[in-house]
This record gives sequence, structure tokens and C-alpha cells, in this order.
Amino acid sequence: MDDNPVVIIGAGPAGLAAGYELISRNICPVILERAGTVGGIARTESYRDFFFDIGGHRFFTKNEDINRLWEELLGDDFIRVNRLSRIFYRGKYFNYPLRPANALFNLGPIESLLIFVSYCRARLSPSPEENSFEEWIINRFGERLYRTFFKTYTEKVWGIPCSEIRADWAAQRIKGLSLLVAVSNALFGGQQSKSLIEQFFYPKFGPGMMWKSFMDRIVAGNGEVRLNSEVSSIHHNTTMITAVEYSDGNTTGKLAPGHCISSLPISRLVKLFTPQPPAEILSAANQLSYRSFIIVVLIIDIPTLFPDQWLYVHSSKVKVGRIQNFKNWSSFMVPDQSKTSIGMEYFCNENDQTWNMQDNELVETATREMVELGLGEKTQVIDSYVVRQSHAYPVYDSEYKKNLQVIRNYLENFSNLQTIGRSGMHRYNNMDHSMQTGILAAKNCSGEKHDLWAVNEEKNYLEEDRGAREVPAVPEKVLIGAFARMDKLAFASAVGTICGLLVLGATLWIISRGGDVLNSHLRLLAQYFIGYTVTVKGGFIAFGYSFFWGFLFAWLFAYLRNLFLAIYIYNIKRKVELLSLKDFFDNF
Amino acid sequence: METDKNNDQVLPEEKLFSGVLLLNAKVVGLTLGVIFGLGIFVATNWLVIKGGERVGPHLILLSQYFIGYKVTFLGSLIGSAYGFALGTICGALMGWIYNKIAIFRQ
Repeated sequence: MDDNPVVIIGAGPAGLAAGYELISRNICPVILERAGTVGGIARTESYRDFFFDIGGHRFFTKNEDINRLWEELLGDDFIRVNRLSRIFYRGKYFNYPLRPANALFNLGPIESLLIFVSYCRARLSPSPEENSFEEWIINRFGERLYRTFFKTYTEKVWGIPCSEIRADWAAQRIKGLSLLVAVSNALFGGQQSKSLIEQFFYPKFGPGMMWKSFMDRIVAGNGEVRLNSEVSSIHHNTTMITAVEYSDGNTTGKLAPGHCISSLPISRLVKLFTPQPPAEILSAANQLSYRSFIIVVLIIDIPTLFPDQWLYVHSSKVKVGRIQNFKNWSSFMVPDQSKTSIGMEYFCNENDQTWNMQDNELVETATREMVELGLGEKTQVIDSYVVRQSHAYPVYDSEYKKNLQVIRNYLENFSNLQTIGRSGMHRYNNMDHSMQTGILAAKNCSGEKHDLWAVNEEKNYLEEDRGAREVPAVPEKVLIGAFARMDKLAFASAVGTICGLLVLGATLWIISRGGDVLNSHLRLLAQYFIGYTVTVKGGFIAFGYSFFWGFLFAWLFAYLRNLFLAIYIYNIKRKVELLSLKDFFDNF
Repeated sequence: METDKNNDQVLPEEKLFSGVLLLNAKVVGLTLGVIFGLGIFVATNWLVIKGGERVGPHLILLSQYFIGYKVTFLGSLIGSAYGFALGTICGALMGWIYNKIAIFRQ
């Protein structure tokens, strides 16, 4: 081992990706993982050979490099799954994403009408302020739809009112396509837009299979993955991390890192610093909050419960937020196909009432709620298992940005420290984003200069990562040119002038040729242009009439052109918003 | 088509409507010229092919303006040329007037 190795704290997706990248550069990292298994929040646990995830983790990414990596590591063990996940609300299954016919049927015509009216009201008169998640959603989908499908579930997940969740979290989760890309694709075709994720990939035995594969490759490349090794202290000299102390319960160890890559929750990271950071840093760290997670696995003595991989439970009458059906992710997740295992997921805060419930109380609650929801019978539950996961989701409350920036500014002082991953950056990264931060951090250790904070910020991320680029099929300038507004007055004036000149010219031409001009066929214009005669005076009268009608029709043409273009853009924008809504509930 | 962008500091969505259309007068002229020319060509030959006792009793009135025009194939070519010329001039003039007014208003 190098005297000053790259020390990676945490063997989740980000840490393992960093380790893998380092191995590929012949750098042998040391990865310290507190738990007895790799994968972090994305790990797979097992009980009696029943495998289950801590929150479902689909493998889907726009990043081609990450996709290739996944396929390279697992090959045929990476299976394709047809996605089915629905919303369970008022005893009925709603398709997710919401489909009008299905929602109408389930909600009933009166409720559907009220939702529609509310939606129209929101579109016609949106709130000018969009600071909170509640305002953001209401502006786009109406208050009634918000209260029906968004409010309860979101507050279950976050434990705080939606009015206190910042709008930028919603915007980040509901990114979707940019409007320019959507318009470009609508006009000119082009690559598949942000996809409707109808299928995803999944390791046969759960995500843990992927992470173990990473670990094996790292170890084969002479890297080290030390499990059950919890970091107890991080020493520094104000500009560099000088030592990382860890303990496996029995012995302690100390590493002098050349580089330190941390996926620890960023608030926990600074609290481990020795000497302690200034008080304002610790205060900022204390104010960053995370949502925790409990999964109560119930082993059911029947082969099938429901066909979905998971259900969103929007009812406020039960505490459970989501129900996983692991057998529907992969049949390999259960050892006995005559049985099913489901995961009743509860969102909570560490040390709150739910967190502190005894395991048997949690099992009892989960079983009772399963029965209450009509999904199964108590007698069918033959065994259970409880897993608690702290720091599962960073919370975007109203102050988080400010507090995070304080910590970031402080950590920038340390030239050999980088933070990665969801918890390490207090950012709602998915697995692919987290892995990307790990890979870039590893590259930075070799002297490259990548901004990890640009990952999962749409514009910059796309610039960083060519594999995930999603750009219009034609240049922006061309698109703007195609949709530029026509100046109605200018167009009407121009057309009116030309029409007037044409008729005046025709009249004067006939007069100049001489002959029986008064009986010329042109006199038929008098049927429309009262007072017109084939004379010079008549020519100018005709000019007036022609200008008027030409002006009117041209104005109407320009107005309708602009209007239809606006409607076209509006429809595309609405489709983009609804499309992006599809992923909304998936990203918890 | 050219645009006159009002504001460089707009969101992507607003960018789509940030410009005001300006017309390329030559293009508009050529387009209108082709349409007029084609229109007269097709209208004339339609009647020629249709035939009958009197071919194009009304379309022949165009000869009052298009000297040499007849409702025959040769006449259709002559008429197309006139139509093309007239359409081009009208279209170009319309584009020019539109641009002048649009720019003045911006």
C-alpha cells in the first residue's frame, strides 16, 4: 500500500465508482466502509435468502459511460424489467404516470371536473411567487390535483409541509426536457427525448450484486475495501487532510491520505474534523437535515400480491409511503417462488417516534396497514425483518442552500479533499449522478479539474458529460428564427399597400391603354368597391378599399400565425411538464 | 428569415418568443413569384387540356395586362413569366415594407 493512498470514505455507488476509476489509472485506493457490506444507501440486504433493497433502485441513466460500466460489470446478470408502478389511493390503483382516462374513471366525473377547473384556473392565473414546492406544483397542475396526488405523499416522504420545501428541489426533480429540445424534436425529429422510463435494468439479485462486482474489481486491482471500518476522526492542518482515523470496533487504524474523497453526509464530515471547524460551520452542519427511512419486510405465504414493482401509497390514513414487491423486480430476489416478500417503507427522521418504535411494533403496524389497504391478510405474513437507514435523503428546506454553501466554502480550503455522492454533497443525486461525481473526483486526483458540483445541474452536467448530452437537433438560433413573432401591423401594412398598389396599377394600366375603358371588365370591381369606376379617381378609391381589405386579412393572418405558434409551443411545454411529472414520484 | 432579438438575457422558454420576425425580401419575392407564375401556368393549361368550344373566355382577360398572353400552352409560358415577375416584385416590395415598419417599431 502507498504511504499516502487515496482514501475513500464510503463504499456506496460514488465511493466504489471512484475506486474503480482509480484502479483503471493504476492508483490503489483504500475504501473505508462503516457497514459490513458495500452499496451504501443503494445496497441490497438479505434475510433468509430473501433479498431486498433499501428503497427501490432502478438502473437507468442517460449517461452512456455509466451504462457501459454497468453492462461491463454484470453482463447477463443485468436483466431488463418492464416497469409497473402505480399509485394506490382511495382503494384504487391509478396508473403512474397519470393517464386521463384511468384517473377520470377512478376519481369519478365530478372530482375530475373539479380538478380540471382548478387546473385551468392555475394555468390562467398562476401565482407570481414560486418559492415553495407547493406553489411550484399548484402553478403547473392546479390546487386540487396538488392536494389529491402530491401533497399527502410528499409530506409523508419529507415530514414537513410542502409549503416549506423549496421550489428548486421540485425543479431539480422535475427537470424534464428543455423546451427548446422538445420543440426541436417536435419539428425536426431527433434523438429520443427524456424517455418515458417503461423499462429499466436491474441486477438479478439486486443492486448489491453490482456493488459487490465493483468491490471485486477494485480488490483485484490491488485496491482495498475495508468493511466495518467507521471513520472516527479526520485530522487536518487547515489546508489539507493529514490523517483519517477509523475503527472496526476492536482495533483502530490511521491513514495519511494523499487525497481524501468523502461520501459521508457532509454535515457529519465536518463534525469529525480535528481540530474542530469554526462555530458557524458546525452550526450550518447542524442545520442541514436528512430524511431517514425504515423498511419493514414482510414475507408473505402466497406467490402473488400485486403485479407492480412498487406502489405509491397516497392515503393519509396509513403511515406507509411506499410498498415494494421485490419479486416483481427480479424473481431471483425470493428463494421460494410460492412466496412473496414486500417492503413497507416508512419515511421518518432519525430518533423520531417512528424511528424509535420497536421492531415488533413496526412489524405490527406494517401488517395492519397492509391489511387495511386490502393487499393481503394478516395470516399470510409468515416472517418479517426491519432495516433502518439514516441519512437517506437530503432535505431541501428553506435554509439548506445557505447552510450548504457555508460548509462548501469551508471545505474548499482543503486542497486534497473532495466530497461526492448524495449525502456527501447534500444533493439529490441518483446512482448515476453519484457515480459520476466519484469518477470525476478520481480523475481530479490525477490532476484533472472537474467541477463535481456541476453534476446533476442540468446545463453544466450536460456540458461535462458528452454521453448524456441532450441538445436541440438544430441550433438555438434557427429555432428562435422559426418561432419569432410576426409583427402584425407591419405585415398588414405591407400587404395592404401591395394590394392597393396592384388594383391602382391595374386601373391606371387599363386607362393608359385607352379604348372603352369604362366598360372594361375591371368595372366589375364596383360590385365590391362601391364608388369604383375605371378612372383615375376610381383607381384611388380602389386603392383605399384594397388597402383596407389587404390590411385586415394580413393582420388576421399574422395574428393567427402567432396564436397558433403560441398554442403549439404551449402544447409542447405542457407535454414536457407532464412528461417530467412522470419521474416525480420515482425520485425519492 | 432573420430575427431581431430584443433581449439576450431571457430564459430558454422565453427565447422562443423573444425575436420579431424579419422577412428576407428576396426570398419572399421569389416565393411569391414562383407561386404566381405556377398559378397562371396551371390555370392556363388546365383550361387548355379541358378544351371546349371556347377556351378560357375569362382567363383571356389577363391579356389586358400581360401583353402577348393567350390561353394556349405558349401563352401559359408567357403568362408564367409575367406572373413570376409580378409576384417577385410584389413579394419583394411587401418584404421590404414589412421590414422597414417592423424595425421602426422595435
